[in-house]
Amino acid sequence: MSFTFRAGPHRTVQANLEAVEAQLLAYLFGQLLDLLGPAEERAASADPLAIELGLADLGFEPEEVAPPDDPALARLFPDAYRDDEKAAAEFRRFTEGELRSGKRGRAQCALESLPQDKGGRFDLDEEQAQCWLGALNDLRLVLGSRFGLQDDGQEPGADLEADDPLRAYVPAYHYLGYLQETLLEALPR
Amino acid sequence: MSTAPIELEQPEAAEADPLESADRPWTTIVWNDPVNLMSYVSYVFQTYFGYPRTKAEKLMMDVHQRGKASVSNGTREEMERDVAAMHGYGLWATLQHD
Repeated sequence: MSFTFRAGPHRTVQANLEAVEAQLLAYLFGQLLDLLGPAEERAASADPLAIELGLADLGFEPEEVAPPDDPALARLFPDAYRDDEKAAAEFRRFTEGELRSGKRGRAQCALESLPQDKGGRFDLDEEQAQCWLGALNDLRLVLGSRFGLQDDGQEPGADLEADDPLRAYVPAYHYLGYLQETLLEALPR
Repeated sequence: MSTAPIELEQPEAAEADPLESADRPWTTIVWNDPVNLMSYVSYVFQTYFGYPRTKAEKLMMDVHQRGKASVSNGTREEMERDVAAMHGYGLWATLQHD
């Protein structure tokens, strides 16, 4: 029987991906790690697709407490106070590093649990399944931000120029949503 | 609101006392966004707050239809913890003084 995610024994989740799906996800999880990566690793990222995606050359200054300039990072690390810049900066100073390492850890864990080249069937324990859930969501937030999504009624990708290379990622955005929805149904409650 | 006995001399007017306002409850607000799945938002409310499914889905629908929902109340420190957790899950959350 064909499935993508389904509940397995002992609170595990069974996954089943085609090789091309596994390759796409390995690429996207890697891009998410690059986006979240520490400042000193920024210069090393010269992947042209990453630059196209706008996922490269973005980093983090530990001393900086202003919101990130990149809208995707600003979405991953939003202000905690709406009308109080000083309180928002203080909150950011104390929480953003830990939040970032949590997101990086989940992306890394998802990437490592994935049979990257060949796909096929594999099992996720409870922690790995949570890594997948978080990493899939973070990827969708990043792509949604790149697409300029702001309102519920907007069609993902509809506001991109005809020749915008980001258009290639619209199917990936929908696919990630399908994966996340399917994973949610397979998670132990 | 003041319950201080009138026999005690009060050095400051109550409404100007920052210590009193620090005791008032704060609230965590989750805002609508076009990316997060409804099923995921409901899952987060059940998982993190331990809310029953019906309450989690009601809050999720408030976020979706009204644009925001108050999902928890408490001290400022507690609400900062909740907001940080929501950001960890990828939900767009802020805290504010009620």
